Amino acid sequence: MALAGPASAGPADITVTAFSLDPPVLMKGDTGTLTVSVANHGAVPVAVRSARLYSSGVVALNDPYLSVGDIGAGTNRTFTFTVRADGGEGTFFPPFVLDFRDGAGSLRYPIPIRVEDTPLSASVISKPDAFSEGRTADITVRVGNPRPNAASGVQVVPQGTGFTATPTGGFIGALAPDASGTVTFNLTPAAETDVTFQVVWHNGINTRTTDLVLPIAFGEDKRQADPVITNVEVMPEAGRYRIVGDVMNVGLESARSVLVTPGAPATPTDPFRVYVIGTLDPDDVSSFEVTFKADAGVTEVPIIVEYRDDNGNRYTATRMVEVGGAAMPLEEQEGGIPVVGVIVAVLLALGIAGTIYYSWRRT
Amino acid sequence: METGLLRVLLNPGRFFEGRMQGEPSLKIPALIALVIGLIGAVSAVLIVNITIAMLPADMQAFGMIGAVFAAAFGVIGGFLNWFVFGIVFYLISMVFKGQGSLTRTLEFVGYGFLPQVFGGIIGAVFSYQLLSNLTIPAATTPEQIVEFSESLASTLATDPLAQIAGIVTILFMVWSANIWIFGMKYARNLSTRDAALTVGIPVGLYILYLLITLTGWL
Repeated sequence: MALAGPASAGPADITVTAFSLDPPVLMKGDTGTLTVSVANHGAVPVAVRSARLYSSGVVALNDPYLSVGDIGAGTNRTFTFTVRADGGEGTFFPPFVLDFRDGAGSLRYPIPIRVEDTPLSASVISKPDAFSEGRTADITVRVGNPRPNAASGVQVVPQGTGFTATPTGGFIGALAPDASGTVTFNLTPAAETDVTFQVVWHNGINTRTTDLVLPIAFGEDKRQADPVITNVEVMPEAGRYRIVGDVMNVGLESARSVLVTPGAPATPTDPFRVYVIGTLDPDDVSSFEVTFKADAGVTEVPIIVEYRDDNGNRYTATRMVEVGGAAMPLEEQEGGIPVVGVIVAVLLALGIAGTIYYSWRRT
Repeated sequence: METGLLRVLLNPGRFFEGRMQGEPSLKIPALIALVIGLIGAVSAVLIVNITIAMLPADMQAFGMIGAVFAAAFGVIGGFLNWFVFGIVFYLISMVFKGQGSLTRTLEFVGYGFLPQVFGGIIGAVFSYQLLSNLTIPAATTPEQIVEFSESLASTLATDPLAQIAGIVTILFMVWSANIWIFGMKYARNLSTRDAALTVGIPVGLYILYLLITLTGWL
């Protein structure tokens, strides 16, 4: 309760002893509750006809007190008004007026009411360098209270489509003047979109919001794993190719579940359809080996490195490898062994053995 | 003559025994060496053709010269083999106190090359089968030609068809060796045992070399 000075008119024993406004500072359009306390310091009761609050920047929404009656000697009386800030910003002085009976005049007391439209401020204080589809990113939102009065029930709710956020809302609670609070969200975008962090708070009984828009644009993470294939050697073999080489992670984060496999138009074949490397830490290198078939007209095939980040998101890196400079492998016969050739060889062996046997028998 | 040549293959003992009645003649053995040389030339030209196909158009003329040289070396190779085997057998048989002229030895060794004609034809078919499955990339730099040649060698060495062709070569070599044993027995007047050693030692070493090459131990 604010302490008030002496009344300006009326019986000298009646004074406004205190008044209060909830919330202490209104925003434009806010509704508040003004409480005015009047005390009779005299030895006799004072008859009061009415108590009113006149509009000046703020509007009293409830009816005036038209039959107040006596205020007993040494007692207090409280008058409550619902007010709404219909004007602009600034400090307004709507007069509180007590009319006394029997022509005793009135007590007029201007109540200072402050209206300030400054909202809570919200800002993103932490986010990744770049967003990727399906990759979870930590986003921290800070909410500050630049208003002269406290805000209550402060919460931050991410809104929009094309993403999921955990938690779905963050609660900060009361924010004193010049105080701040933070909320961290795990945000997983499914597409490029705008995420609106809506700050909701209460100024007295009034609910207010402030929006903070964060555009989600996909880009390349400067720290993400970056597997590079090097030292490639193509070895044509009967019926297939064999490619050996090295994979090095030149990124700043680990590449997990790393697999190396030949892509179309190559057809992977045993024994190395796919080469499993596992985790490749930054600056680590691992050799790989893949085997595959390719048609005669194929001059280069893609070697694909698949890997995941710490959150399990899958990525691929591809390098084209020329195979046209090498001899095309032979078309593999059925079962890998030329059956006709084997049969011819066996028949020849039998025939020659028989001929040799015959030649010695005839000697 | 067909009956005569068939006797070389089926009954070499009787054949050489009969030949010992007349004067040595190198005409038919030379003809056999020529046929083997021609078959070898065809195989060599097949290989050279791959290199020619790889060369740029303006260099293909040089490739043709290479093919001619390959054919020439193939023909000469037929005669070279004949003389080398003949001289080697002649020299080894000297250890067993063999008696008989070098001409007679060369004559009988030449007859012993007859199975190689069939071996050469079958080998050429295998080579054609092997090489016809290859697609020849166009090479523009000497490095690419070298790379291709190396990969071709690797392919030919590891291909099952090439290995079977190697085994067939060994089989016909064994057949030839069998004929040479009879030939050396009469040409150098050796016992069967000495003739077998005269032929068996160099041919055995040659077959051992072929086996080592086939299995890739070298």
